[in-house]
Amino acid sequence: MTVDSLREYLSLLESRGELNRISRDVSWNLQASAVTMRADQTDDAVPAFESVPNSGACEARLIGDPFRGSRRRPWDRIAGALGLPRGLTGGEYYEVVIDRLKSPVPPTVVDREAAPCKEVVAKGEQVNLFDLPWPYIHAGDGGRYSNLHTIVTSDPDSEWIDWSYHRAMIHSGTKASVLFLAGEQTPNLYYYKYERRDEPMPIAIAVGTEPAVSLSSVMWIPTGRDEADFAGGLKRAPVELVPCETNDLLVPATAEIVIEGSVLPGRRLDEGPFGDYFGYMHGPRRSMPVLQVDAITHRERPYVPFCVEGVGVGHTLNSSTTMEVACVGPDATLGLRTAGFDVERCAPWRFTPRTVYTVSTEVSRPGYLHNLANFIFTTWGMLHIDFFVFVDTDVDPLDQRAVLEAIAVNADPNEDFHQFGVETMPKVPLNIYQTPEEKGDAETGTSKTKTAKAYIDATRGDDAPARPDYLTDSELVRKARETLARAGLPLDVQSRSEAAS
Amino acid sequence: MTTLREHVAALDGADDLLRIEQRVHWATDAPAIAAEAARENGPAILFENVPGTARLVSGAYGGPDQMQPRTRMPWSRVAVALGRDGDLPYTRLLQRLSATASANATPTRTELAATYGESDPYSLGLPAVGSAAGPAVTLGLIAVSADDGTTWAPIRGAVKGSAELVASVPAALGDSLSPGTDATIALGAPLACLVAAALRWTGDAGYGDPLGIAGTLDEVSVAEARGGLVPASAEAILDGTVSDVGGRPSRRAESWEYATSTTEIGLRLTDIALRDDPLIPFTPVGAPLADDIHLAGLVEAARLYHRLNSYWGVTPVEWIALPVETKLGMCLVASEILYAGFEWQLANTLFSFSRLFDKVLVLDADAPAATLARAFDDMWVKAHPSHDWQFSEPAAPAATATAYRRDGTPGSRLYINATWDPRWDDEYIAPRVGFETSFPDDVREFVLDNWRDMGFSSTPEEEE
Repeated sequence: MTVDSLREYLSLLESRGELNRISRDVSWNLQASAVTMRADQTDDAVPAFESVPNSGACEARLIGDPFRGSRRRPWDRIAGALGLPRGLTGGEYYEVVIDRLKSPVPPTVVDREAAPCKEVVAKGEQVNLFDLPWPYIHAGDGGRYSNLHTIVTSDPDSEWIDWSYHRAMIHSGTKASVLFLAGEQTPNLYYYKYERRDEPMPIAIAVGTEPAVSLSSVMWIPTGRDEADFAGGLKRAPVELVPCETNDLLVPATAEIVIEGSVLPGRRLDEGPFGDYFGYMHGPRRSMPVLQVDAITHRERPYVPFCVEGVGVGHTLNSSTTMEVACVGPDATLGLRTAGFDVERCAPWRFTPRTVYTVSTEVSRPGYLHNLANFIFTTWGMLHIDFFVFVDTDVDPLDQRAVLEAIAVNADPNEDFHQFGVETMPKVPLNIYQTPEEKGDAETGTSKTKTAKAYIDATRGDDAPARPDYLTDSELVRKARETLARAGLPLDVQSRSEAAS
Repeated sequence: MTTLREHVAALDGADDLLRIEQRVHWATDAPAIAAEAARENGPAILFENVPGTARLVSGAYGGPDQMQPRTRMPWSRVAVALGRDGDLPYTRLLQRLSATASANATPTRTELAATYGESDPYSLGLPAVGSAAGPAVTLGLIAVSADDGTTWAPIRGAVKGSAELVASVPAALGDSLSPGTDATIALGAPLACLVAAALRWTGDAGYGDPLGIAGTLDEVSVAEARGGLVPASAEAILDGTVSDVGGRPSRRAESWEYATSTTEIGLRLTDIALRDDPLIPFTPVGAPLADDIHLAGLVEAARLYHRLNSYWGVTPVEWIALPVETKLGMCLVASEILYAGFEWQLANTLFSFSRLFDKVLVLDADAPAATLARAFDDMWVKAHPSHDWQFSEPAAPAATATAYRRDGTPGSRLYINATWDPRWDDEYIAPRVGFETSFPDDVREFVLDNWRDMGFSSTPEEEE
């Protein structure tokens, strides 16, 4: 059964023995983050910090990386949240999610009285962001952050409601800076519509939403399409929304917390440094748009989920890297198929979030791959991603070992590494290969200096050597796997046979 | 001395051996089972019930990939087979192998453990691997005698007819052979002997007497056979004479063949000696994570490590790896960058001294040894996509471990510089996020001291 709130999701994890409710005091000041990082690094249970000293008037609790998957099956917890059976292979999970995304379900609107997020309402003088225990995540961060939430805003020129996922650094009881990097949908609405018209952008930050809402917020949903519909598709039921108290936006009714306000035109506050997704402290501080908070509504004793960014590299997963493999990957696969490309699967690089994706495709003609790369580099929010790797369909993009082999053995430096020009393409400043001077501090958040994007054709060439039958004969492989299974080796007899064929 | 039997027993004792008691076909089933076990990061496989006189073992020198944190490392079985602990750090293994360049230990002489009897190469039940349609010899060692004594070399071959073997050997060895030369093939020799043979004939780094190298790597006993001194504990001894030295380049199959020039020879087998209940290792050639890839990668890395740290009068290189996951098509080097541009020297020196790969990833000296998760993160995030991916002009020889330009057409080489630019100010160098770097002492102590009390089940010290 699909879960309808963060609390139901936590109960699901608890029923599986994958949630650790910690009753002793754990501080929001680095301690909760350090505990979560260790749990992430050791693949232990998700920590729920039930007692947070000095948590503020809301008596809120913290959840560290609630969506983090297990290393060997990153999609399992999210699959559970969507009511999917346990034990799906990566390929099966991808196809189920793709099917669900093909059938969006519009949201419904409920009364305020029926919305858990309205249990407590604070407006005007009552508003104080410090009533909540925003975590200080890494020593050296520029401040305390909310970084696992859904930002809700609207297009001033249409009915389009955009959900997204941009971190906010708390500055005062009513102000925060929001990481808006031009090139992505919500920042573009702000920089090129609201701010140019000198208008505040209405915004709501829904913290602690039901999983389907969080998952759809990180997906690359096309401009003009509402993430709420796809969240409904994911859970095969409408997401319940409720009107905000101080603006016209609709927000997920079961959210733990909703922060209402607006992003002010022409105003900036410092943002960062921050331990960023690519595994390093990113700096220096930059100027980012200002969120003015008008109201905070929340459940009683709400949970504040957070993500320990930067730890989700190498073998370790956190919430954002899990959602990338379990949400962005299937969504991207569907997007490419919808655009007419013959794509088997698109998945993120196992060790590096948001920088490299691998795409398996049946068609490996050079012109085709160039068009495919050109499409994805220009159509999606490609300011983070620098590389795409193309592999044959018998190489599973979720199998990092096979992808590594394909690059090493099949990609000819002479003709299979393709750059789209040198220093011609945009890049977010969230990187460590540019100097602070190269990054600059542009008004729209992108780096001052341009960079390169590249794709690697790691498909087998026509002159690739023949492989022995014992590697390619699906019947022989199946028989071998059955023998191994009978002898006691735990393996999936069928999955490799399918790949071999 | 770690004999093959002792090694397999050690794997069994460490719960790193799976017995296949079901009867399997030697030609088709055994290689497929070995390949799938390797692909699944499984244990070594002992085939108890095969039609031949020998039992077979695969994966004895294999190991898992590093795509997940594991209790065993890819090189753990190799370390055990060389008489070391399975948790031997990679750099220690690398240093131990590379330090044998001038080794001259004298192996102990003794009697063969195998006894001669009525047998033929078909009756052994060797699996058909690679392109061989019939029984094939892999992980073999050939011994031949010359004026300065016995030498050993790797050999791979296919059984033809009743007593013929068409084999691939290092071309330099082949040049010294002539029809009628006595030779002995040892199967199931101690790993120290196989590694020594490969070090002797791979590249030009100056590794000398393989018997001396083997004796340095482990306590090795040797015994007389037709071709000269052979590992005394070998499971099978195949004596014969060279019947053909046509000088044809062999069709490569086992990984060591890609690291050196090879030639095809014919051998007429005359006598076979077997140990009781013989145990013969094989590698599923071509399969991911197969034994031969592990061994060739380690040998080449050790050779290159020795070469580079003997080259500039200083020893800047922390480690070199040809990850088994990349099937030897890529080389990783972690080094101090002595000055701007040193990364270019490093990469191109590696290209000069190895024919296997045409891609080099240069990492900072503090990159954890042979830790792929870290290395293949830094490749994307530290290297600038345009400045730090450097392609040579398309005039370089084709790499041998790759699947393209197999006709030898020249092309480009690539090195990726994932090191901090030594010209950068210190303030540009971003600190890494991690438990040690992102939290002060008191916070870390709080976590570690209260880990169990907070209800976690893992061991908090076990990072990655």
